[in-house]
Amino acid sequence: MCDIIWCKKMVDGKPCNTVNYLDPYCFWNWEGKVNCAECGTVYYIHMIQGHMYKGPEERPGEKPDTSPLYADKPLDGYSNYSPGVEGRTRPFECLPRHIYLGVPDMRKFSIRGRPLRGWRPQPPDGGIAGSYKFNWDLKRLSPEVWEEYQRMLRDGEVKDW
Amino acid sequence: MAKDPRVCRLEELDGPKSKQELDEMKMPYEDYCRAAFAPGGEFSRPLSLKGIRWLSTTMYIFTPHSVSNLAELGAEVIKVEMPRMGDPMRHCAPFNETYLYPLHDTRPMTGTGMGYLNANPNEYHITMDYHLDEMKEAFYRLVKMSDGLTECYRPGTFDRWKQSYRYLIEMNPRFIYVWGGGFGYGPKVFGGSYDILGQAHAGLASVTGMHEFMGGHCTKHSNWCIDWYSGTQITFGILAAIHWRRKTGLGTMIEFSQVQAATRCLGYAAPLYGRFGIVRQRWGNWDTQLCVHGIILAGKSDYPDAINPQDRLDARYVMVSAFNDPDFKELCEVIKKPDLYSRYQKHKDRVEGEAQVEIYAALEEWAKDKSRGDVVRILQGAGLLAEPVMNDREVYECEHYRLRGTIRWQDDPIFGDVLAMGSYGAGLMSKTPRRLYWIWRPVGADNVKIYHELLGYPTAKIEEWYSKAMI
Repeated sequence: MCDIIWCKKMVDGKPCNTVNYLDPYCFWNWEGKVNCAECGTVYYIHMIQGHMYKGPEERPGEKPDTSPLYADKPLDGYSNYSPGVEGRTRPFECLPRHIYLGVPDMRKFSIRGRPLRGWRPQPPDGGIAGSYKFNWDLKRLSPEVWEEYQRMLRDGEVKDW
Repeated sequence: MAKDPRVCRLEELDGPKSKQELDEMKMPYEDYCRAAFAPGGEFSRPLSLKGIRWLSTTMYIFTPHSVSNLAELGAEVIKVEMPRMGDPMRHCAPFNETYLYPLHDTRPMTGTGMGYLNANPNEYHITMDYHLDEMKEAFYRLVKMSDGLTECYRPGTFDRWKQSYRYLIEMNPRFIYVWGGGFGYGPKVFGGSYDILGQAHAGLASVTGMHEFMGGHCTKHSNWCIDWYSGTQITFGILAAIHWRRKTGLGTMIEFSQVQAATRCLGYAAPLYGRFGIVRQRWGNWDTQLCVHGIILAGKSDYPDAINPQDRLDARYVMVSAFNDPDFKELCEVIKKPDLYSRYQKHKDRVEGEAQVEIYAALEEWAKDKSRGDVVRILQGAGLLAEPVMNDREVYECEHYRLRGTIRWQDDPIFGDVLAMGSYGAGLMSKTPRRLYWIWRPVGADNVKIYHELLGYPTAKIEEWYSKAMI
């Protein structure tokens, strides 16, 4: 459950009619300005313990501090803005946005720089009835990752912890 | 020795029998523990459950975890998955991190997600469509040479397929059979369960979360804690059943309802209702029985410049405990609110809801211009119990856990470099420690090992089954 700003700003003679969802977690105790994902109108709000204490009040000409989590236009079918649409909605704060790309993230190295062996596509190496060998032989099966690992070792990019 | 052998006096026991024993007895307790548990030395020690063979026809986390506990303690666990598909949990990846490994060579672009980690370590993974008549023989042969089985199908499914307890016990009277499901038998027998359903239907979610005053609603725990908890409860039942079998030679059936398991976490809720008719409420980060004994929000993060938003925005919570009267007095002095103490000198007064509202508000007011670290330092400096609410990164970097080996890096034979915590964080054992050999294996990775090497089927037969998608 979260509070919303239902934007009624008139745009081109029609009300904007966008519901901007204020994720309870980050707006729980928050004072600042947040934009409408559709028309960009900036609203000042002050939330205390998850309740709207002040606002939403329009602040024309001012820049927003943040954006709603996501937004939709309920009177307009199911059109919506997903979280993390640049300039309209904000990314999930629960995930490091700089690595969250919205697509499966094929990591080839762990955060300490040692090789992982779990990306796709990988060459099928199943034996009889898909019985894989016990060890993934990185050097043989993923030579390009092996090469990169050797370079990282040389450059001191591999850590113990 | 004492004359009466039932009497045991420490001072009359024989002393150390060697210099090694003498040194051990002289060790400070800290050194003794470090030597006794020696993280990293697990693999040179015996396995407590070596010799136990267990079948796992399980999915997701709850039932797999019940047998992975056995596997970590040394049992040989054979996990049976659907041919070509595998455990559905393999597809439940967190959405930015998936495809650890091709699911199968027939579906090379489909992978296994991070959600599968920790629930199936050390297991052998085979595939079998065991409801086909052609595969019954192999299934029954496995039953005959195994100690038990855990399954999680809808009630009566295995019975319909003639592989429930009452059939299998005829083949192997020592067999221990576990059915782990949603509601168990009874009026809601056909109800399945997920962790969230267990949390909700057992009444647990209703007491978890913020009070109405805090704008709250009931909350489920983000992690699937009832899956893990129920799985561990099943393991406990299995170990008791193994012990029973050693005494009697007989197997047993364990019927386990995930929904019922979560009721156990409710503590005094049912007795409270039974006695007074009071329905227990949620009370957020505070405690209904103790005050001050909760989590407060500090104004500033410990890492205001961090890139990771969980550090930058969220490293602000502090656990504070000062519920006895002298501690509360000290706390009020620290936050410069002596009037609070004068009004709520006795615990029975301050544990009331209205008092808690006032006390915690005052604490957060005091903490609003301080960082989490400042709050902890000030309170600890005053001799009070306060600890930061740590996030995963901080746990991972915490020297305490590293030294104990409860979080460690492991070079998995297939996955590669993995930060492991599940096995080693589940309790240390000096003589027969848990250990992690591998975090999981691809679907059907051990088909040849089990069908050919254990059961003796010719490889031509295995290839035939495989080509027909029976395995």
